[in-house]
Amino acid sequence: MRLLPAVFAAAAIAASCERCAAPPGAAGGTMVIAATGDADVLLPPVTSLTTGINVSDLLFCRLAELKLGLNTIDDSGFRPVLARSWEHPDSLTIVFRLDPRARWQDGAPVTAADVAYTFRVYRDPAVNAPLAPFLAAIDTVTAADSLTAVFRFRRWYPEQLYDATYHMRILPRHLLDTIPAARLATAPFARAPVGDGPYRFVSWRTGAEITLAGDTAFFLGRPGLDRLIWRIVPELPSAVSQLLAGEADAMEVIPARGQLERVQQARNVRLVPYASPFYGAIVFNLRRPPFADREVRRAVAMAVDRQTVVRSVFGPFADVAAGAVSPMQWIWSDSIRQLPFDTAAAARMLDQRGWRRTAGGARGRAGTPLRFTLLVPTSSQWRQQAAVIVQDEMRRLGVELHIEPVEFTVMERRTTSGDFDAALVSRTTDPSPASVLQWWSPGAGANIGGFADSAFQALTATALRARTRAEAAPRWRRVLERLNDEAPAVFLVSPRNEAAIGTRFADVTIRPDSWLATVTEWRVAGDRGAAGR
Amino acid sequence: MLRFVARRLAFAVVSVAAVVLVTFLLVHAAPGAPMLGTPETIASPEVVARQRALFGLDRPLPEQLLRYAVNLARGRLGESFVLHRPVADVLAEAVPNTLLLGGTALLASLLLGLAAAAAQAARHHTRTDTVLGVVTLVFYSVPVFWLGLVLLLVFGEHLHWLPVAGMTSAAIHDRLPPLGRALDVARHLVLPAASLALVQAAAFARFQRAALLETLAAAHIRSARARGLPERAILLRHALRGALAPTITLAGLSVPYFLAGSVLIESIFGWPGLGRVTYDAIFARDYNVITAAALVAGVLVALGNLAADVAVAVADPRIRVDR
Repeated sequence: MRLLPAVFAAAAIAASCERCAAPPGAAGGTMVIAATGDADVLLPPVTSLTTGINVSDLLFCRLAELKLGLNTIDDSGFRPVLARSWEHPDSLTIVFRLDPRARWQDGAPVTAADVAYTFRVYRDPAVNAPLAPFLAAIDTVTAADSLTAVFRFRRWYPEQLYDATYHMRILPRHLLDTIPAARLATAPFARAPVGDGPYRFVSWRTGAEITLAGDTAFFLGRPGLDRLIWRIVPELPSAVSQLLAGEADAMEVIPARGQLERVQQARNVRLVPYASPFYGAIVFNLRRPPFADREVRRAVAMAVDRQTVVRSVFGPFADVAAGAVSPMQWIWSDSIRQLPFDTAAAARMLDQRGWRRTAGGARGRAGTPLRFTLLVPTSSQWRQQAAVIVQDEMRRLGVELHIEPVEFTVMERRTTSGDFDAALVSRTTDPSPASVLQWWSPGAGANIGGFADSAFQALTATALRARTRAEAAPRWRRVLERLNDEAPAVFLVSPRNEAAIGTRFADVTIRPDSWLATVTEWRVAGDRGAAGR
Repeated sequence: MLRFVARRLAFAVVSVAAVVLVTFLLVHAAPGAPMLGTPETIASPEVVARQRALFGLDRPLPEQLLRYAVNLARGRLGESFVLHRPVADVLAEAVPNTLLLGGTALLASLLLGLAAAAAQAARHHTRTDTVLGVVTLVFYSVPVFWLGLVLLLVFGEHLHWLPVAGMTSAAIHDRLPPLGRALDVARHLVLPAASLALVQAAAFARFQRAALLETLAAAHIRSARARGLPERAILLRHALRGALAPTITLAGLSVPYFLAGSVLIESIFGWPGLGRVTYDAIFARDYNVITAAALVAGVLVALGNLAADVAVAVADPRIRVDR
């Protein structure tokens, strides 16, 4: 027992050494990022887990990057990265001129042949890249010379530059083209990649840590932080404890209200809000009763007090959703027309459809009670809490709502096979307004409710042809308002993303679609040395 | 003894094969499916269909089982659907970490449990006995994940005495000398191992106390006392050895406890072991990893039981094992 204090004292000294490993004001410095999941692979075409995407984004560059405004239509919304410039010689072609300074981390130059190879990899069915469908409008990518890549499109549309640059991170052909496409994901390269980005791969201890080092030779300038380390801790409370104990410096998002309040009280960490790419919604299955009936859907939507749901579950950390749009998207607006919260009108609508209250207060029609089952994933605390509030609101409307908590994979299986009445889902958007189509266009695999509306399709087609952001914005608004009117879902909530960042870091800005996109500009407070690099 | 070990090993092989078969059938029968993406990124149906075909999941279940059995017989555990790696590689990294955690916890729980039991037995019906009895009852009743969270909050987050999570200090570990690295791992091991050990130590203590009291009343102990041997020597040299058998058996049977506990504790403390791998694989429906993890767990449990049987035979010469 006498040994115990000595052991604890030694431990405390060691712990304090860790915390002072990168003191404020020192050049460079290390940022430890708490992550709740490990990476899968570090090869952009096949990486699908959040940490894998975050890490590989810093290892591999795009031809051009979106600026903070996330304007996906105009060329002015992009800044050059691997491509020094680009031009549109005709409506179906974009020609990219590569920056001759760009190098792979083994010293080889980045060439147009790499760009053409990358396109082939992403489109190869053997690779099975999740983002391949987004490249369907690109017909060919060829290398006109070593520094000129030519993209040919099948048709004209305003987001050609976005599709050409956003979905692909350029790969080193000279290191990969001897590997069969089907084996790329399992190749050693996918776990220890050689990139062309601002950070170099250092190590990956599975389930524990991934370490990157700033590339001092990066052609666009050395990043402000010398090392980035992802520390994997699956449990959210433990990950937050790491932040509060000073063992980690940053976390992409604190998704639970209770944990946010813990971080708010900390002195060594601050919350940095940024627009969320998510919205939460109760999606109806339109292929079966009762939600095949538009008026029933609208009545149910109008009986949900979304403001109460959001305040009760999220407190100040979320907003009522404006529709099938996330706050990150440039088409988002809080003035998009929505169905009102009006329980009296909702009751009248159900009465008119023959769903009348019975003696017990529940609604029914021809002996059939008006009831539905709501699938909720057990992994999501907020969705389970919201479901209970909605259940109470439905009870007051005379609608019987049965909550069925299921595992995430079970929920996905059931919703994609159409085996559900309603499901409380979280939807991720990308910066393009066209991502509305991923979830709501007829034939889209993720359109789980089977929504199909000719007016919606016509409005979408019009919006997709708009040449400028000013022209497109009102058209997309009409698309979203049509969706709200048709009520294929109750668009409930847009959570506000809150990153946790150590107070010792300065110049922190966050691009909402990719929280570390600007990390090259972050630095330890007091270190201005990297500013001029 | 050799015949006994061989017979037990043969039984273990059959048991492990049954575990693998049942696990394979259960994970395929469970609702849900692999490769549907993550809560944030839902995979498109086309991508899912191609992935399923790539891994042969579109084939009839008996064919999948046959293929798995053939591959297993050749020493191939398949490939992780999520990590795109051979399952053997995934487990090879995780299992040593779990053995370190579980082994440390087992050793610590044995030492603590035996010490507490010896103290209680030596001071039977005194205040020490009562206090230690209450303490062991409390720890015996505490859920291991709750104890883990309490230790994390108190000693990690608030007192900063010990690291909150992980197996190493991310920022400095690679710069430390070999001894420093070992100490760094040891420091990270304290809280997760203590979480597992304190609960099991309470169980050992309660069993061992009862066994010691029974042994202390035996005729050969009375003879030892009559010969004037010191009480300390009687307790530690004669009574403890004779009373060890139930605790050794319990230690062997506790391997499943440590494996099950590691699923929770490794997640709470970010310890990169078999429990974490299994936990992630279950939620991702990574069939190959789940089945292989069950295989490894089955082997560890069988070996734990075998080791306990052998240890009991060594500790208590009255037990004959070659019948």
